[in-house]
Amino acid sequence: MTETPPSSVLPHEEPLPPRYDLWTAAVFFCIGVAIVWLAWQMPTYEEQQGKIYTAPGLVPALHGIVIAGLSLWLGLRAITRGALRAGRGQERPPREGYSDTRLYLAAALCLIFAVGLVGRLPFWLAAAIFVFSFTTLFEWQRGAPARERVRRLAIAAALGIGTGVVVTLVFERGFLVRLP
Amino acid sequence: MLDSLGQFGSAFAGFLSFSVLLTVLWATFLGIVIGALPGLTATMGVALMTTLTFTMPHREAVLVLICIYVGAIYGGSRSAILLNIPGTPASACSTLDGFPLARQGLAGRAMGISTSGSWLGTLFGTLCVATLTPFLAELALTFHSAEFFWIAVFGIVIAGTLSGGDPLKGYLAGFFGLWVATIGQEPHYNYQRFAFGSTEVAGGIGLLPALVGAFGVAEVLQAMRAPAATAVSSTIDSVLPRIRDVMKYWKTILRSGAIGTFIGILPGLGEDTAAWSSYAAARRASKEKEKYGRGSIEGLMSAETGESACVPGAIIPVLTLAVPGSAPAAALMAAMLIHDINPGPMLMIQTPEFFYQIVAMLVIADMSKLLFGLTLVRPLLWILLVPRERLMPVVFVLCTVGAFAITSRIFDIYVMLFFGLVGFVLRELKFPMAPMILGLVLGELLESNLTRALVLSDGSIAPFFTRPLSGTLAAITIFTVVWSIPSAQAAVRRFVGTLLRRSA
Repeated sequence: MTETPPSSVLPHEEPLPPRYDLWTAAVFFCIGVAIVWLAWQMPTYEEQQGKIYTAPGLVPALHGIVIAGLSLWLGLRAITRGALRAGRGQERPPREGYSDTRLYLAAALCLIFAVGLVGRLPFWLAAAIFVFSFTTLFEWQRGAPARERVRRLAIAAALGIGTGVVVTLVFERGFLVRLP
Repeated sequence: MLDSLGQFGSAFAGFLSFSVLLTVLWATFLGIVIGALPGLTATMGVALMTTLTFTMPHREAVLVLICIYVGAIYGGSRSAILLNIPGTPASACSTLDGFPLARQGLAGRAMGISTSGSWLGTLFGTLCVATLTPFLAELALTFHSAEFFWIAVFGIVIAGTLSGGDPLKGYLAGFFGLWVATIGQEPHYNYQRFAFGSTEVAGGIGLLPALVGAFGVAEVLQAMRAPAATAVSSTIDSVLPRIRDVMKYWKTILRSGAIGTFIGILPGLGEDTAAWSSYAAARRASKEKEKYGRGSIEGLMSAETGESACVPGAIIPVLTLAVPGSAPAAALMAAMLIHDINPGPMLMIQTPEFFYQIVAMLVIADMSKLLFGLTLVRPLLWILLVPRERLMPVVFVLCTVGAFAITSRIFDIYVMLFFGLVGFVLRELKFPMAPMILGLVLGELLESNLTRALVLSDGSIAPFFTRPLSGTLAAITIFTVVWSIPSAQAAVRRFVGTLLRRSA
């Protein structure tokens, strides 16, 4: 065993193909330039005897310049490392056991809960529906016996209702915190 | 001296009531559980519990958060030892020797080492808080705006350089965080920056929703994408720490405690850097290097002592400079501000009793951690075996509540989602998160001190370089950036080598 931690723990320990850095640099460069441009549009309040160093756009503009400069550095470094070369080494190798399907499903469910359910339904009900759906979808197994499916559905329902009720009671009644 | 001891005594006495001790016990236990569960981190725990505690009196609220922080950093070692998956990033180093020990049937002994190392580490760090904070606070009182500006820049630079991976990406993340901190109304003319007419955005980006997003939502997504974890064994040998282990490795414990505390004091680095640095130093000095990575008692002890000493260390700059030493300390600092406690150089003058209370809180939390470390082994093993499919939706519900509850704005839930997505994508692209969060925290400090210094000097930037302290900080900051460039580093080494050869 070496000192290198497992890849799932410290992902920055694995090198990333340089093309990824080039794209990242391009996005950050656009952000930096946009910040500088927007900061330039901000008023300087000189008509109110305002000084340039108290202008609202000064500090964001400095940040924008630094972000653009650092992203240029990142982009140039990626190019020198072969980001523009076609061929092998430009694609990230798949990691064993990692699933994009699980990621997208989890992200979609979280989004539906946070944007679609919260604020539209009582919180305990929204939480119960979300937890039930999440657990059921991720624990669903094709070809599992009917009895097993019913057991898992019952666990998911109990977990969902339990979460909704306990979170509401603890936060709203116990700690007097407002829920969405 | 006697006055200080008296103040410490009364701070401890203030916590010796049944209700407070009960609070300490549940909070530390919750912290250990949060830390033990992969996907839940100390930062997230402190950020979420800030929501629960903001109706409490400020002293109790901070006590709960410190117990959560201390407990969570320790709890991470449980899953590191039993699952080979660190419960918190800080425990990543503990997997190297903890898991091999567990595979050899010594999981209990590994947990005993983890408990004793962690307990001694926090105790060492707390001693440093008690002794160093008053001196550093006095030094901080001599700082002017230019110095505070450089402290903020240095924080971003050092966090970017040392928080793991690519320093360039660390700087980018840090300055992105600094820019995000400028969103909303600015202090001089109340001009709404980057709000695009939205009153919600004009209110600014809350630190806690951003923290919950970057450390909670991003963790949920990562946990669901990663393969499921399985425990190495369901039987545990004795977890009682052996005095012999502690006595044999006392030098390692002291060294790791000092390194952990020092890393904690440096802005934004945190417990994971402390653990890796302590581990590397212990390995260099060890007589049994070959055992490292194969179940070394000394290796595990050094990692645990280092990460736990970092917790009090990270609180020192919060108390003296209002600059957090780690991501959980940033959440703790945000909680202090919510409770009308103003961390920074004036804290020791305005509310000195709070400093003594913090020391007492750290000691009490550490003792409580020791108690749970020795007794609650089996229940923690059961908790570790909860499938992520059942745990993560509950975590996301708590994240939503945590983001919403402080200001009761649905907008904060969207901020949480945004930072969850940004945090996930940036991590996938190998960007460290700590500099971004530090940027968010230090943005206001940097801007207010930059403009104040410029107003005082009528626009001249000379004081930023000519004042002795300011010039020193500027030189250290610039040197740190230059040192992070491999070619510049090689040139400096060559130059120094040439100089040394000539002088010889």
